[in-house]
Amino acid sequence: MYNGVDQFTAKPFWHNGPAPGAIYNFPGTKTHGTNGSQRSQTPITTATSIVAMKFNGGVIIAGDILGSYGSLARFRNCPRVLKVNDNIILGAGGDYGDYQYVKDVIEQKIVDEECLDDGFKIKPKSMYCWLTRVMYNRRSKFDPFWNTFVVGGLQDGVPFLGSVDKLGTAFEDNAICTGYGAYMALPILRSALEANPSPTEEEARALIHKCMEVLFYRDARSFPKYQVAVINKDGTDIQGPLEIQQNWNLAHMIN
Amino acid sequence: MAMMNDSRPHYPDYSTAGAVQHSFNPYADNGGSVVAIAGDDFAVIGADTRLSTGFAIYTRNQKKLFKLTDKTILGCAGCWCDTLTLTRILNARMQMYEQEHNKTMSTTACSQMLSTMLYYKRFFPYYISNVLVGLDTEGKGCVYSYDPIGHCERSTYRAGGSAGALLQPLLDNQVGFKNMQGDAFEKVTKERAIAILKDVFISAAERDIYTGDSIVINLITKDGITEETFPLRKD
Amino acid sequence: MSILSYNGGAMVAMKGDQCVAIATDKRFGIQAQTISLDFKKVFDMGPHLFVGLPGLATDTQTVMEKLRFRKNLYELKENRKMSPKVFSSMVSNMLYEKRFGPFFVEPIIAGLEPKTFEPYVCNMDLIGCPNEPEDFVVGGTASAQLYGMCEALWVPKLKPDELFETISQALINAFDRDAISGWGATVYIIEKDKVTVRELKTRMD
Repeated sequence: MYNGVDQFTAKPFWHNGPAPGAIYNFPGTKTHGTNGSQRSQTPITTATSIVAMKFNGGVIIAGDILGSYGSLARFRNCPRVLKVNDNIILGAGGDYGDYQYVKDVIEQKIVDEECLDDGFKIKPKSMYCWLTRVMYNRRSKFDPFWNTFVVGGLQDGVPFLGSVDKLGTAFEDNAICTGYGAYMALPILRSALEANPSPTEEEARALIHKCMEVLFYRDARSFPKYQVAVINKDGTDIQGPLEIQQNWNLAHMIN
Repeated sequence: MAMMNDSRPHYPDYSTAGAVQHSFNPYADNGGSVVAIAGDDFAVIGADTRLSTGFAIYTRNQKKLFKLTDKTILGCAGCWCDTLTLTRILNARMQMYEQEHNKTMSTTACSQMLSTMLYYKRFFPYYISNVLVGLDTEGKGCVYSYDPIGHCERSTYRAGGSAGALLQPLLDNQVGFKNMQGDAFEKVTKERAIAILKDVFISAAERDIYTGDSIVINLITKDGITEETFPLRKD
Repeated sequence: MSILSYNGGAMVAMKGDQCVAIATDKRFGIQAQTISLDFKKVFDMGPHLFVGLPGLATDTQTVMEKLRFRKNLYELKENRKMSPKVFSSMVSNMLYEKRFGPFFVEPIIAGLEPKTFEPYVCNMDLIGCPNEPEDFVVGGTASAQLYGMCEALWVPKLKPDELFETISQALINAFDRDAISGWGATVYIIEKDKVTVRELKTRMD
């Protein structure tokens, strides 16, 4: 009777010794099975990919509005692109609860800033740097925020786009996609930017729409409604929910 | 699986996920390679610009060389979030030194401080392969390489990061003249060092998927630091 | 630690102009302890055919015996020599027979095709997935180092003496950076009308 014990991996020849077919497992390098307490966390209500790119004079960030509960499409109105202030827009993927918490912290920062009334507004690079530190500190406590954030904005008129993940891994690029978007949408954006390094806002919007469409058809955790945040010299604007026009006429031809 | 010693049959095809314990790994392998060569009056260091995890490339244009002073540069490969944190703290401590002692840190002092900082995190290490290059107080080129917990060694050439194992024997041969016949070897010049550096990165990009896109090369001489970039394969 | 790196060893084969070379280290050890310095891992399987079996030493010898048996049987039945390509298929098939309890060797085959004397190199994983590239193959515990060396040193159309220099430098510098291979090397240069075997002196630490 099959009792759930792994029958396919051979046992080591002797205690802590080499096992047939196993690769590189030096003694004393085991990372699991420690005796210390561990606050391991797991994402509960999750959001899928974020798709973002720079264009000539601004940045665009898009994300659908589905909150998944495992494979269940549970919450159908979870907005996750955010206007931080006139300089900054933010998109988030991963655990929705963690996102809401971080959002509250950010909004409190903005309120504190308003209270100072010195006319100063936080800039995208500062926001990105702060988020990096917040994420890294939480991962160092083994209690991470299970998110990937995409920060967009105008820093002294120059477009800025950066990403921070749950470890605090941070980088900037002209096009950033998270989750499945990194495999399916990012190649589309990169090849488009290679052909035309400085697209207009309209071209960027069309590209992002195309990406959201591709992701909707192929990412099982996606949704046909999404929001778009755009920042340009005129300020910040969040649009949506926009709808993807579905067409499954081809579906019966796929076996 | 250890809890399933009861006699109920277990059919894998019909098992459900239930509450899955998702253990959290605070480290990521973001790849990248660093190569450094020192001469009598110069030091060169190169690092590729690919930042990746697994089969995904985060960005093709990530600088991994950090200028510490006018004659010291640090190259980092490994866990990028640790690199960001380490280099930030390093910069802060460089500034503190400068303000306390009213002089910039020497390359040798930097190398010792880096070792101490890495060992400070002995039981939750920065997972980084560090290579520090610069000119010492006599103006001689030097290379310091580290393990993640602060072991430090001075040498004249070093390859580190994801393609370190591929490149180090090549440097032994081409820069260290290991296993070569004869005794009169010409010392490696600046131009030759940069040429070797480009060659070894081209080789690494062929076989290591975590190395590629392009390299940034920094040359340190008594006149300062010059920078150049060189394209690699992008697949 | 993988069972494939229990004994240690480094091996490489390269194509040249009308010639091939296969080179190996000579160490036999048990993990970090070196036992002997003249351990044979490359075997003569015909006039222009060599097979190297880096991996678990006991399987190196077992697999060599089994291959020799099957090759002899083929030659008696068919009354002709076995070509490198056929030999590769045979090795591959034999290893896959033990798909779920494999021999822990990653074979390297080097030879010249009969009649045309085309150079041929091939390597496999431990369950017989073959790879027949145009340049070189590597195996053993120093494979990463060997890839780095070969990728930089190898060029097409090397003459036998140039091929010898290239493969020797590639092997020696690679295994000098591996703690569990080295301690001397043997290089076989296979040409149309002769096979040259050279023993290399290397650093012994």
